Amino acid sequence: MNLAVSTPWGLAGLLLVLLPLFTSGMQASATPWLALMPADRLSSFIDAGLRLCAMTVIAALVLGMAGLHRTEQSLERIGHGAHVVLLLDRSSSMDNSFAGRAPNANNDGKDAEESKSGAARRLLTDFVKHRETGLIGVAEYSTSPLFVMPLTENKTAVQAAISATATPALGFTHVSKGLGMALSFFQQQSVTGSRIVLLVSDGAAVIDHDSEQKLREWFKQQQVRLYWIFLRTANSPGIFDKPEDSRDDNAQAMPELYLHKFFLSLGSPYQAYEAESPDALKQAIADINQLENLPMHYFERIPKQDLSATCYRVAGLLLLVLLAVKFCEVKR
Amino acid sequence: MTETLFYRLPWRATAVYPGVHPGQMVGAGHLFKRHQPLIASPDPRRLDLRASVLDPFGGYRVRVYQQESTVNVYVLADMSASMGYADKQQTLIQFLLTAANSVLSYGDKFGFIGCADGIDKRWLLPACQQSGRVDELIKRLKNHRYSGSSNGLKNAAALMPGKRSLVFLLSDCHFSLTQLRDLLGSLQGHDVIPLILWNPHEYASLPDWGMMSFKDMESRATRTLFMRPALRQKIMVAYQQRQHDLKHIFRAFGNEPLFITERYSTQTINCYLQQRAT
Repeated sequence: MNLAVSTPWGLAGLLLVLLPLFTSGMQASATPWLALMPADRLSSFIDAGLRLCAMTVIAALVLGMAGLHRTEQSLERIGHGAHVVLLLDRSSSMDNSFAGRAPNANNDGKDAEESKSGAARRLLTDFVKHRETGLIGVAEYSTSPLFVMPLTENKTAVQAAISATATPALGFTHVSKGLGMALSFFQQQSVTGSRIVLLVSDGAAVIDHDSEQKLREWFKQQQVRLYWIFLRTANSPGIFDKPEDSRDDNAQAMPELYLHKFFLSLGSPYQAYEAESPDALKQAIADINQLENLPMHYFERIPKQDLSATCYRVAGLLLLVLLAVKFCEVKR
Repeated sequence: MTETLFYRLPWRATAVYPGVHPGQMVGAGHLFKRHQPLIASPDPRRLDLRASVLDPFGGYRVRVYQQESTVNVYVLADMSASMGYADKQQTLIQFLLTAANSVLSYGDKFGFIGCADGIDKRWLLPACQQSGRVDELIKRLKNHRYSGSSNGLKNAAALMPGKRSLVFLLSDCHFSLTQLRDLLGSLQGHDVIPLILWNPHEYASLPDWGMMSFKDMESRATRTLFMRPALRQKIMVAYQQRQHDLKHIFRAFGNEPLFITERYSTQTINCYLQQRAT
C-alpha cells in the first residue's frame, strides 16, 4: 500500500478534518441546564459516528482533490512459466505463403493462402494469450536486429508488437545478430523459470566465426533453451535434409543444415521443428507451450492506481448518510 | 398591576417601626400582650383597674398591646443565563412588579439583589420605600440579557441586614445541590420563600423522534440526542427526580418551594402564601 498524492500542498486541507470535532453542524436548541438531560449511550454513539462520518467525508474530499493514488508496485510471485523471447524473421520471404507464392487473396478470395508471417502472427498471438505467467519479449531481425519489446508481462503490448509485423518485411536474413539481441534480453534478468528463445524463421544464413564464438559463450552464460520453428517453403531445403552431393555439404549451399548443426553443438537444450503448413506450426507452438512450464519466481508489476474516484465515492456515500440525518433533525 | 401579594409572616418581626406584621414590640396595637407597671408604660388610658386591684403590691397595672411592625422584604433573583430561557425573565419581572407594589403598599421596605457570576451593583437595591427606584430598576431589567452562572447567589446573604427579613428566592435552581445547600445555609437567619421558575417547554414538549442538538445556556456545552419515546420518558423522569430532590433539600431547611411551571399568576402565589402562613 504505497500511497502518494499528486498535489501534496492540497493535504493542508486535512486540517479541516478537525472541524466536526468543534461543531456538530446541527442547529442547537438552547437548554437551561444540560446536566439535567440524562446521559444516553445510544445518542453519544450516534453523535460520535456522525462526527466520524463528517471527518471522513472531509478527509476523503481533500484526499480526492489532492489526487490520492497507489504508486506502481511489484508483487513477488511464484508460478509456472518461462521467459520467452520471440525472435521473428522479417525477411521478405516470410510474406510468401508456404507454397512459396505471394498470397493473392484479392483474386477470388476462396482459396486465399495465408502468408508465413501471417500464420506465425496468428498462432503466436494465441500462444501469448495462453501463457498465464512469465515474461515475453519480442525481437526481430532481417538486415539488422530490431528491438521490438523487452521482456514484459503486458500481454497487450506483446500482442501489439506481434501484430506490428504485418507491415511489409525487409531484405535479408541476419540470424546471428538477431540471436545476439534475443540473448541480450536476458542479461538484466535473474535466472528463474526457464529461458527460451523461440526463433521463427523460414530460412537461415551463414554465421561467421566471430559471431559463432560469441553466441556459444552467451548461450552458456544465459542458460537459454532454443526452439527453432523452421517454416519450410515447399521444395526448399529443410533442416534435416542430407546433402545428396558431398560438394554441396557446406554452409553456403545448405545454411539451414549448418545452422541446425551449430545449434546442436551449443550444448544448451535445443529443439527444432520443421513446419510446412500452418497446422504444423500450430502443433509446434502447442508443444513448446506444454514443455516450458518450469517453476519460476518473478515480480508482477501493478501499475499506478488512481484512488481519487474511490475517495469521492466514499465521500458521496457518507454525505448521503449525513443528509439523511439532517432530514431527521428537529429544529425548535 | 392591581394585584397584591398577601404575604403573612408566621413569625414576629423585630422592626421598631409600626407596620402590618405581628412584631415583638409593644405599643399601639389591638392584640393584648401583657400587663406592665404604670412606671414602665406611662399611659393612664390603658390602666387595667381589675388587674390593679388584684395586684398584691398595690401598684398600677397597665395593659400593653403588641405593635404591628414592618419587615424588610427582599427579592433575591438568580440572573444567570438559564433564567433567560423562554418566559422566565418575563415571570421574574412580573413578580418583581407585583411584589414591589404590595410591599410598598404594606409600608414595608423592599430590596432587590440580582446575582449572576457575582453581584453587580447595578442589580442591587437596598431595602427602601421609594417606588421610583423600583420602577427604574424594573425598566433596566427589561432591557438586560441574562448571562453567566449563578455563583453570586452564595454571597447575597452578606448584603442583607442581620435582622430577620422575608426573602423571595427566585431561581430555576439549575445548579448543583451542594450549592443550593450552601445558599440555604447562608440564608438561615431569614425567612426564605423559594419560587422556582421552570418552563415545561424545556422537558415536556420534546419530540418523540428525531435528532436534537442541545446547547447549555451557561456552559455553552452541546450534546446531540437521538430522541425517541424511551429517552423522552427518561428526561421527564429526570426532571421529576430533580424536583423531588429540590423539595427534599428545601424542606430540610424548613422551606416549602413553589414550582412555577405554568404562566405567572399572582393568585397561585397568594394561594401558596396563605397555605404557608397557617
